[in-house]
Amino acid sequence: MSPKSIRQQFADTLLAVGQEDPNLVVLVGDISHFLLQPYAKACPGRYYNVGICEPTIVSMAAGLARTGFHPVVHTIAPFIVDRSFEQIKLDFCYQQLAGNLITVGSAFDYSNLGITHHCYDDFALIKALPGTEIVYPSTALEFDALFRQTYNDRALTLHRVPGTSHEVEFAGGDIQVGRGIRVAEGRNLTIVATGPQLRSALDARPGLLAAGWDAEVLYIHTIRPLDTALIRASVEKTRNVLVVEEHMTSGGLGDDVLRTVTGIPGLQYASLSIPDRFVTEYGTYEEQCERLGLTSGGIERKVREHFGARPPVKTA
Amino acid sequence: MVHDSNDGHIPSAYSIVDILEVLYRAVLKFDARNPEWPERDYFILSKGHGCVALYTVLHRHGFLTDEDIKLFCRSGGILGEHPDRTKVPGAEASTGSLGHGFPFSVGIALGHRLRGMHNRVFVLVGDGECHEGTIWEAANVANNLQLGNLCVVVDWNGSAAQLMPRDDLPAKWRAFGWNVTEIDGHSTPAIEAAFRGLQMQPEGQPNVIIAHTLKGKGVPMLEGHGPWHHRTPTDEEMQVIMEALR
Repeated sequence: MSPKSIRQQFADTLLAVGQEDPNLVVLVGDISHFLLQPYAKACPGRYYNVGICEPTIVSMAAGLARTGFHPVVHTIAPFIVDRSFEQIKLDFCYQQLAGNLITVGSAFDYSNLGITHHCYDDFALIKALPGTEIVYPSTALEFDALFRQTYNDRALTLHRVPGTSHEVEFAGGDIQVGRGIRVAEGRNLTIVATGPQLRSALDARPGLLAAGWDAEVLYIHTIRPLDTALIRASVEKTRNVLVVEEHMTSGGLGDDVLRTVTGIPGLQYASLSIPDRFVTEYGTYEEQCERLGLTSGGIERKVREHFGARPPVKTA
Repeated sequence: MVHDSNDGHIPSAYSIVDILEVLYRAVLKFDARNPEWPERDYFILSKGHGCVALYTVLHRHGFLTDEDIKLFCRSGGILGEHPDRTKVPGAEASTGSLGHGFPFSVGIALGHRLRGMHNRVFVLVGDGECHEGTIWEAANVANNLQLGNLCVVVDWNGSAAQLMPRDDLPAKWRAFGWNVTEIDGHSTPAIEAAFRGLQMQPEGQPNVIIAHTLKGKGVPMLEGHGPWHHRTPTDEEMQVIMEALR
C-alpha cells in the first residue's frame, strides 16, 4: 500500500483539528474543495470556498484572526505568497495577527502550468516578514505534526505542501517545529536538505563515499525558525556544507545556512538550488529536477565540481 | 495637530469628520476605558490617511489623551499619519495602504456572525480607494456571504473623478448587491438619519452609505483638490483656518 499523500493528510488533519477546536476556520480559493468536504460537513459555518480573490481571502482571514479565530488560507502557492504578499505583510504581520497559509504547488510542482503557477520565492518573501514561521512538511506524518504544533501559536505560519514525499518515515515524536533531524552521520561533508530533496541527499551518499566524501545529512522541515545549533555543530565537524533545496538561490535556506556557519575555519559552502531565473521548460516534476540537478546524481556532480575529489573513504 | 507636527492630511480628514462625529456620538457602542470590550461595535478607517479626524474623535470620547495628541507624528508618540492598531486605543485596524481595511472588516463581520454575536462593523473607504480591486472583491464576497452586520461608508469627495471621471459609485455598489443610501456627508441630520435607518442583522443585505463630501470642508482655502492634500499650514495660514472654523 502506498503511503498516504501529504495532500490527503492535510484534509484529514484539518478534519480532526476542526472537530477538536471550534476556532479553526478554513478559507479556500477554489482548490481542494472536494477534498475538504468532510471538514466542511463536520465543521459547519467554518469552511468557505470564498472565490477567486486571494488578496481579499488573506485580509478576511486576518479579520477572523482579529476576532480570535485560527484561520487557514489555502490555495496555490503563488496566489497566496506572490499575489497577496502585501495582505500578508500588512493585515497579518504588521498587525501582529496569527494564522496559517497552506499552499500547494510547491516550487515547480505544477511543472507544465508555467511560471504563473510556480512559486520558488516563498521562503525569501515570507522570511522578510516579522512574526512568521515556515514549515515544509514532506510526509503525511510531518504535515500532521507540524500543523498541530503551529496552527494556534502566535505566528503567521506558511505551510509549503509539496506534491512529492521523500518517503523517509520518522517517528511522530521526532518531528518538532524548529528542530532539524540528523538523518545520517558523516565526517567530512554536511548536506542540508529540505523538502523532497532529502531523498536525493540520502541516495547520493554511496556515490559520494566512493569519491571520498562521507556525508552527514541534516533534514530541515522548518525553514523558520531554523535549527542553527544543529547545522553549526555539524559543519564545525565537517567544514564542508552543501544546501539542497527547491527554491531560488537568492533568499533560500542556503542563505540562512551560510549566515549560520560563517566564521568556521576552512569552511567551504555550496548551494544546489534553482538558479535565479524562471523555470520555463515543460515536462514532469522529475524532469525539471533532472534539468536543475536536484537529484542524487546532481548532488554528486555538485560536490565533485565544488569541493573536488578526495581519496575514497574506507568503510569498515 | 498637523500644524504643530508639520505633517498630515487635513482636507481628507475634513471630508469625513462630520460622519465620524455622528458615528461616535450617536451610533457606535463602545467603552473607551475598555477598547477591546467584546460587545462593542467596530469602526475601521480604511482610508487611513484621514486619521486626523479619527484621532480627534477618539480624543473627544476618551480613548486618547491630550499628550497623545500633542505627540502626533513626534518621537515617543503613538499617533502617526496612518493609524497603527497595535499602538492606538480604539483603532480597530492598522491601515494606510488603500484597499485593506474593508476586506479585513469582512473577516471581522464574518467572525462575529460565526460566534453568534450581534456586533456591528462600520468601515469608511475613500472614493479614490474604490479604484483598488480589493474593494470590489470584498464587496462581492460580503454580498455573497450576506453580511448584514457590515456597513460601508464611502467618502465621495471627488478625488477619484480627478483620475477616472466615469465614477457612478451608487450604480456600482447596487450592481454588487448592496443596499445603497446616498446622503450629504456634511449634514448632521442627514448622517444621523442614514445610520438610524440601517437594518443591520448578522445575516442580510450589506449596507453602504455613499456620502457626498468636500475635501477640506469648512475652510474655503482648503476646499477642493488643490495643493492641500498633504500640505501643512504656515502660522499665517493657520490663523485663516481657525477663523474660518469659528
